[in-house]
Formats: sequence, structure tokens, C-alpha cells
Amino acid sequence: MPLSADEQSRYSRHLLLEQIGTAGQEKLRAARVLIVGAGGLGSPAALYLAAAGVGTLGILDFDHVELSNLQRQVLFDSSQIGELKTDVGRARLLALNPLIEVTSHAVELTAANASELIGPYDLVLDGSDRLATRYLVNDSCVIFGKMLVTAAIHRFEGQAMSYAPGRSPCYRCLFPTAPEDLIPNCAEAGVLGVLPGVLGTIQATEAVKLLLGIGEPLLGRLLTYDALEMRWQEFSFARRSDCAVCGDRPSITRPGEDAPSAAPVTAVQLRELLRQAAAAGEPGPLLIDVREPREFVAGHLDNARNIPLGELAQRLPELATEQSVVFICRSGRRSAAAGTMALRAGFQHAASLEGGLLSWAETIDPRLTVAPA
Amino acid sequence: MALSVKIPGPLRSYTGGAATVLAAGATLADLLDDLNRQYPGIRFRFIDEQQRIRPHMRIFVNHDEARRLDLRLRDQDQVHVLCALSGG
Repeated sequence: MPLSADEQSRYSRHLLLEQIGTAGQEKLRAARVLIVGAGGLGSPAALYLAAAGVGTLGILDFDHVELSNLQRQVLFDSSQIGELKTDVGRARLLALNPLIEVTSHAVELTAANASELIGPYDLVLDGSDRLATRYLVNDSCVIFGKMLVTAAIHRFEGQAMSYAPGRSPCYRCLFPTAPEDLIPNCAEAGVLGVLPGVLGTIQATEAVKLLLGIGEPLLGRLLTYDALEMRWQEFSFARRSDCAVCGDRPSITRPGEDAPSAAPVTAVQLRELLRQAAAAGEPGPLLIDVREPREFVAGHLDNARNIPLGELAQRLPELATEQSVVFICRSGRRSAAAGTMALRAGFQHAASLEGGLLSWAETIDPRLTVAPA
Repeated sequence: MALSVKIPGPLRSYTGGAATVLAAGATLADLLDDLNRQYPGIRFRFIDEQQRIRPHMRIFVNHDEARRLDLRLRDQDQVHVLCALSGG
């Protein structure tokens, strides 16, 4: 279908560019882009892609608008606090450009739904705020053959790169695995409000170029930005033949295959396990408390052994892989990471105390002192 | 010979907030040792127990990826350490 008079007028500045023109604008109209995360990066990216006339946009986010989002998430305004981001975001994009379609996905992207959610799109723009999601998005794009534009921010710094199936290395070629210790997100570390505006519009630019097949996208190049120094840098990286997802013999062939998770065990279940073992005269599961020694000393479960998370990789060989292990920490976050580490190292039975010792103190033993992290 | 080393944001707590620091070494391994003398503990964040660059960290020398610690460094080389960022 040729461009309508309305479209010709709306996109007239694009039509003047020989790299876009009518054919390019029709390509953009036929394109489908999924934006993962309607946050600091997703906001400007979504606005510019809608304005540019990308025919189908999906916005994936399960959060509601919060007051602290408005310092950088320009898709929303003060009257929308508490509203679902995908709903008000969709309305804003359609108000900007009623000629496009916008689909809301108010869900969390998981290994189970990645195929269904990403499958219908041509390109994914990743603006999520969790490393686990970034790896899941990368792996899904490689596995399903989708183009990807990813960016991430921290305080005053940002980085961006693109991926095109068969034409470039992937995010995992650059950073093969996520760190075991958790890199703080914006809520924890703070971020300059305008920073995601810069990186998000870079992402939108890359998306348009990749969809049109013009220019030199960030394939095999990581672009970094330092707002304080006002400096851009570029780093080349190559595809790894041993990459777990895009390498010659990939070990990840389905989304989520890389991150085995420890079985969650509630405080009540753990108490029962320990009771049953004691009644039967058996040793029961090994309790490994992965908090820092300072926290451990303040209060811990009977018979628990302290191996701080930072030392665990080194000290896992002290434990037998066939032994049943329950990892314990304050809130359940570090113990889950420990469980993943143990399962990767070949342990057969690794569990993580759900809700950590805070939950144990609340439901089982209020006298337990749980030190602050 | 002191070379400039750019430290990734999430690890600047080791360098008192400094984004770029100076360190000396004939090889990348020497340079990281010197960095660790000045900022105790920082080397372990880059390098694991098997003396490999950690998989979520990348070290670039003059914008080219360095995959070996015995890489020889020259005067004026610029070293950048990058890590995966998570914010969005």
C-alpha cells in the first residue's frame, strides 16, 4: 500500500533523505519493534520510534509509574502516578502518532514466555534494568534470529551495542556471563536523568538504521558514553567461537537455559526438613550461610556453616556435589545466586531459603537476630 | 612508565571515586599488580582464582580487546576496563 497523503506529510522530512525516501518509510511502516522495559531508555526510544513511523511497537513492562521515574522517564507525566506503564505509554505513543499500532505487554519477560513475546517482532530494543533480563533478551534474539539493540546505564555512564543475526557478535561474546555479585541498578546507584535520554535515542537511531539496512550500525562495536567527561569511546570486539549462545557449539539452545535456579525452600519447609532428619537420626541438608562473617556472628541458624558469597566459588570444592545443600542469607537474594553457582558447579541438590533469615525470624523464631546487610 | 587506566563506574569505590588512575607495568599482569598495590582488592574484581579475566569484565588496550594477561604494554598505551552495566 503506498503512503497516504497524511503519511507523506507527516514523514516528509524522512522522504527528503535519499537513504530513507518512500521505500524506506514503507519499510519502517511494515517493521515491528519490541521495547523491553518502559524506563529511562525505553521512554525516549519509544517516542522517537513512534514519531518515525515504525508501524508496530510493543512495550513490555509490568511496572506502574512512580514519582521517582519522572526525573528521566519522559514517556509519562505527573498525572499518571500509579498507572500501568504499558497502558499510559501506549496512549501517549498513539497520541503522538495515531497511524501506528502499539501493543501493551504488561508482563515480566521470562524464559517460558520469551518465544511467544519476541517471536512476532523483527527487532528488540532492550532497555531493561536487570542483567538477568539482558541475558535472556540477548539469548532469545540469537535463538529466534531477531535483531537487537541494547544499552545500559550507570550513574553518569552508558554503553550501547547492536546485534544482527549472522552478521555480528552478540552481547554474550562481549560479557559471557553475568557477574555473581550484583551490579546495582538505577534505584540503588542513582542516575543522571538525561543520561538514558542520550542512550535511548542512540538505540532508536540504531533500530531505524538496522530496519532500513543503512549506515554502519554498532555491530561488533561497543559504544560508551561518559557524561561527566563528555566523552564517547568505541571498543571493537569479535564473535567468540566458544560463545554459549552464538558460538560454534552453543550450550544455550533455549531461552533461560544458562541460569539454573536453586529450588526455593520456605522457612516452614526447612524447619520440617531439619526436624524429620533429626527424628530419623540423619544429618539432614548442609546449611551454608553465604552472608558476610559480621552478619553471621550477629545471629545464625544452628549448625549453619558460614561461607560468604564472595568466597563461595573458591570454596565449593570443600563440599561434596552429591550432598544436599540449603543456601541461606538475609533476604534470599544472595542465597539464590549461591544456588545457581553450586548447580553450575555440578551440585545435584541445591536449595535456597526463600525470603532468607528475615522470613525465618518472622515465621519460625522471632528471637533470631538478623543483622543488616 | 605510568599508563592511564579507566576504571568502570561500579568499581570506583576502590579508587576513591577516580575514573582514571595511573599504574605501571611491562605487561597487563604487572599493571594489574601495581593497581592492586595502590587500590587493594581491585585486582580480584578483574581476575578470578584461575588468573583469568572475569567473564563479565573486559580489558581493552588502545580500544582492542586484551584476552591475555601476558600482553606486553608500551608507553602511551591506554587501558580501559569495562564491565556489564545493568541500569535502564
